[in-house]
Amino acid sequence: MNRIDPLETFRIQPSQKISIQYGRKSYEGVAGDTIAGLLYGNGIRVFSRSLKYHRPRGLYSLDGECSNTMMRVDGMPNVRTENTPARNGMKVTAQNVAGKTADTDPMAFMDKLGFAMPAGFYYRTLHKPAKMWPVAIKKIRKAAGLGVMDPDFRIEGYFDEIYPTADVCVVGGGPAGMTAALAAAAPGLRVILMENRPWLGGVFDYRPAAYEGDLPLYQRAAHLARKIEETPNIRVFTHTAVVGNYNDNLVTAFQRGNETDPFDERYIEIRARSIVVATGCIERPLLFENNDRPGVMQVGCAHRLARTWGLLPGRQAVFSIGDDLGLEAAADLSDLGLEIACVADTRMDGQDETLIDALSRRNIPVYRGWIAYKAHGAKQVKKVTIGPLAGVQRQDIECDLLVASAGLTPLTGLLSTRQVELLFDRHTGFFLPAGLPDGIHTAGRMLGFQDSVKIEISGQLAGMEAAADCGFNAPGEIDSIKVRINAFPGPALGSKIVSAPVKGKKTFICFDEDTTLKNIDQAMADGFDVPELIKRYTSAGTGPGQGGIPGHNLPLYVAQTQQSPDQAPRSTTVRAPLIPTLMATYAGTQHDMCKRTALHDSQVASGGKMERVGVWTRARRFAEDTKALAEIKNVRHNVGMLDASTLGKFRIHGPDALKALQRVYVSDMDKIVDGRVKYSAMCNEDGCIIDDGVVLKQGENDYYFTTSTGRAGQTVEWIRYHTRYDHWDFNIVNLTDACGVINLAGPNARKVLEKVTTADVSNEAFPFVGWRDLTLADCIPARTMRLGFVGELSYEFHVPASYTQTLWNILEAAGKELGIQNFGLEAQNGLRLEKGHLIIGSESEQRTTLHDVGLGFLWDRKPDANTVGAVALTQTEHQKDRLKLVGIKMADASAAAPKDGSAIVDTKFQGYICTARFSEALNEPIGMALVKDALAEPGTELNIYEDSCNGQLLKAIVAKMPFYDSDGSRMKM
Amino acid sequence: MSFTLTCPICGPRNAYEFGYGGEDKGPRPDEKDLSPGDWCDYVHMNRCIAGESKEWWIHRSGCGIWFTTSRDTTCNLEVRGKAEEKDANPPLEKE
Repeated sequence: MNRIDPLETFRIQPSQKISIQYGRKSYEGVAGDTIAGLLYGNGIRVFSRSLKYHRPRGLYSLDGECSNTMMRVDGMPNVRTENTPARNGMKVTAQNVAGKTADTDPMAFMDKLGFAMPAGFYYRTLHKPAKMWPVAIKKIRKAAGLGVMDPDFRIEGYFDEIYPTADVCVVGGGPAGMTAALAAAAPGLRVILMENRPWLGGVFDYRPAAYEGDLPLYQRAAHLARKIEETPNIRVFTHTAVVGNYNDNLVTAFQRGNETDPFDERYIEIRARSIVVATGCIERPLLFENNDRPGVMQVGCAHRLARTWGLLPGRQAVFSIGDDLGLEAAADLSDLGLEIACVADTRMDGQDETLIDALSRRNIPVYRGWIAYKAHGAKQVKKVTIGPLAGVQRQDIECDLLVASAGLTPLTGLLSTRQVELLFDRHTGFFLPAGLPDGIHTAGRMLGFQDSVKIEISGQLAGMEAAADCGFNAPGEIDSIKVRINAFPGPALGSKIVSAPVKGKKTFICFDEDTTLKNIDQAMADGFDVPELIKRYTSAGTGPGQGGIPGHNLPLYVAQTQQSPDQAPRSTTVRAPLIPTLMATYAGTQHDMCKRTALHDSQVASGGKMERVGVWTRARRFAEDTKALAEIKNVRHNVGMLDASTLGKFRIHGPDALKALQRVYVSDMDKIVDGRVKYSAMCNEDGCIIDDGVVLKQGENDYYFTTSTGRAGQTVEWIRYHTRYDHWDFNIVNLTDACGVINLAGPNARKVLEKVTTADVSNEAFPFVGWRDLTLADCIPARTMRLGFVGELSYEFHVPASYTQTLWNILEAAGKELGIQNFGLEAQNGLRLEKGHLIIGSESEQRTTLHDVGLGFLWDRKPDANTVGAVALTQTEHQKDRLKLVGIKMADASAAAPKDGSAIVDTKFQGYICTARFSEALNEPIGMALVKDALAEPGTELNIYEDSCNGQLLKAIVAKMPFYDSDGSRMKM
Repeated sequence: MSFTLTCPICGPRNAYEFGYGGEDKGPRPDEKDLSPGDWCDYVHMNRCIAGESKEWWIHRSGCGIWFTTSRDTTCNLEVRGKAEEKDANPPLEKE
């Protein structure tokens, strides 16, 4: 098809050719074309086959109101091709059709079977006999549907998310939205303007009708858009669908990127102080027999095809409309070369007479009170039957285009998602907001305004009111604008006609779900009288168009035809996202954010097998051996180094610091001995153990303590929460990321330490559980603690993060002649298991109390501390039938260690294995388990059910802990 | 979680930044002679009001303060300016 001569309203570059592939053929278009537009320009009329009946469907609207033009594009199903820009080389195929294009479909016979699929047939038919349904459902799924998702399909592209800040968020880049944005930006507020189409302009964008004097609307729109662009405090997001609006003005949207954007699609979330909703109107479909035939399209669709893309939508056209925009489009399209046989207007009167005159000057007859009754033609419109709404006269007119529209329908979805009540307005026929929450304003055509100037002024008013929400109140100006608005005539009387008086068998109220008027009648005959229920029973409006086609017509039709016609139409509920959004956009970029210790790079360089542990990346082991036995052996017999920087580290100080520690720790922190650390635990209010660590007193009212890695993030919050009623004076500082920790462990650890310090670190001068502030290598301040988590002589150095790598290097050099080696988490796990030392979370779960893990001795029963968990610890101290922590060995010492988490059973569940490993020291598997107290005595035989045991229960025996060095002499040497 | 909360230090912020600390039940009851049932009720039972509820929140991704505020649970909106005036929620009524 040839393009019409270039117009000022074009949004294409006719000289820049592109081509896409549809089916087996290649089609040429120009830059700026949409996929559907490009194909339409090449004579394609059938774009898809409908869900149930496989009826041919064509280009009907242009903003994604229905699934008619959904196609598979470059492997992605359900792309709305009518508003997706075509890109050179795209591969497009049709959906829900046996072939590659929608033109011919072997399943088209389904259209004849409509009688077998009444409203609610899913619920009513094919269920008897019961065994028929599983067969039927397979057939239905094969025959019906939209795009097919290839299970191997991986979406390409970059999906971003942004959270811009705005004082005022204006939704809708039409005339009202643009004037609202300009008015709100005038006092210097930060304004965001969002528009669904790729450009600003809205209903002005393509229309040559006069704005004022000779100035056409499209030039006015361009003028406003330029002003927007020149205003630095307005940020514009085009090609951005606003999909939700929630409490306190949270607006969610997604923006489609063009070829130069760094993203393919991005999620936008804005918390604005004030919102202006100026979303305008879409067209309300006109219903008649075969109203879904390709060649039937809405007024705006036909008009924009010509004005924006230079495509004359047909040769010979019939119009059946119910709004002045239809008259205007007919006159303009006639000037552009479309032959128009006649215009049927459902309204008897109320038309703009200048438009009627304009049509009569062009010899286009206007039939008032007439409507299209039926579209003829198998795959596309060939003939139309029109006639008066009341009367028997019928006229057949040959044509290849039927421009049909019943009127307008406001886009109020953003108000609905905000729970705003919408009431039916008898004058406009719109569902209009009954009242708006604070900080939200409406403007423009969605209120029923039609006069171009009035639309703009209403936007200006809304923008000023939004500015007032942000503290820039100009009452005098707002009042004078209100006076100006009231001087205009009120909203025009809206047509409420939904359908020509036809039987409705092939009259589609919803294209996406193939719902006919007959289906709606059936639903009402079955007793459904509320549109919301009819919507579910017939599935009208539940398709991808989200009610864009039936949303307004369904309640109107129901109100006009139901048994109690006195009831006002009741709208159905729309929900977010208002426009289908890719899951990939919601998923976002999926950065894997983790913390790295100061030693990360050297751990990796040493061959560390890194893995994610909570928020951190840590070295699991350094050798290939998954059991890390060499690392374990080296610690037991020589000396090793572990990066323990992930430990939670805190300073708490102030007059009430001790009271705060007494509140959260079960032990009496008043008894901390100078120069010694105190091991203790924290419980929750149920007495369940949540953390363990050491506390030391570093000065008057000044303490330093450690927590387990997993609790580091919550500890400050926890302590403040449990002192929230006390108004105590203390400060707590999280030093976890500020300090690195190196654990030097093994019988030769002291030999290494002695090389880097002049201080006396003998067992007498620096005994077990002692701590000293040492200066290592004459320069590094290191808080050094003698602890024994791995069960050997062991020093823990807490140093500023920036010194950690240096100290690591110094220790490594000092230990080189001894054969010092790295060890990782796996080795540490094996080592501490042999000692029976627990890791909270591994050897405990939500219900495990301090008593259950055998740490009840830590609890000091402080009388007035109100220690968190103390009440429950008192109450559960002698409770029976609890899971207790025990050591286990396998009955067969040569057996493999059971998997962590395996169940311990007899006739029922009796507990589970927490951790089990092969013990290097004992040369047999050992483990820890939580078992019912009745089975907790050493020597008791346990049956373990492991995942892959095939019913052969493993035998284990409860053993005394610790398994290794029971008197702890190796830690104290 | 689409509403905003007013942090006493940082002002109104997105609810995403906050952590929930439960209904304001007042300070812990005296531990002496407390039955396990009473304790369990204090720790675990909530009033779950449909309406205005005084609650503890923490500005977790912000300044870290724990504070109380009133929220209308029927519409998930903060009831502004009420928190200071209101006492803790009255204790649970015994069945």
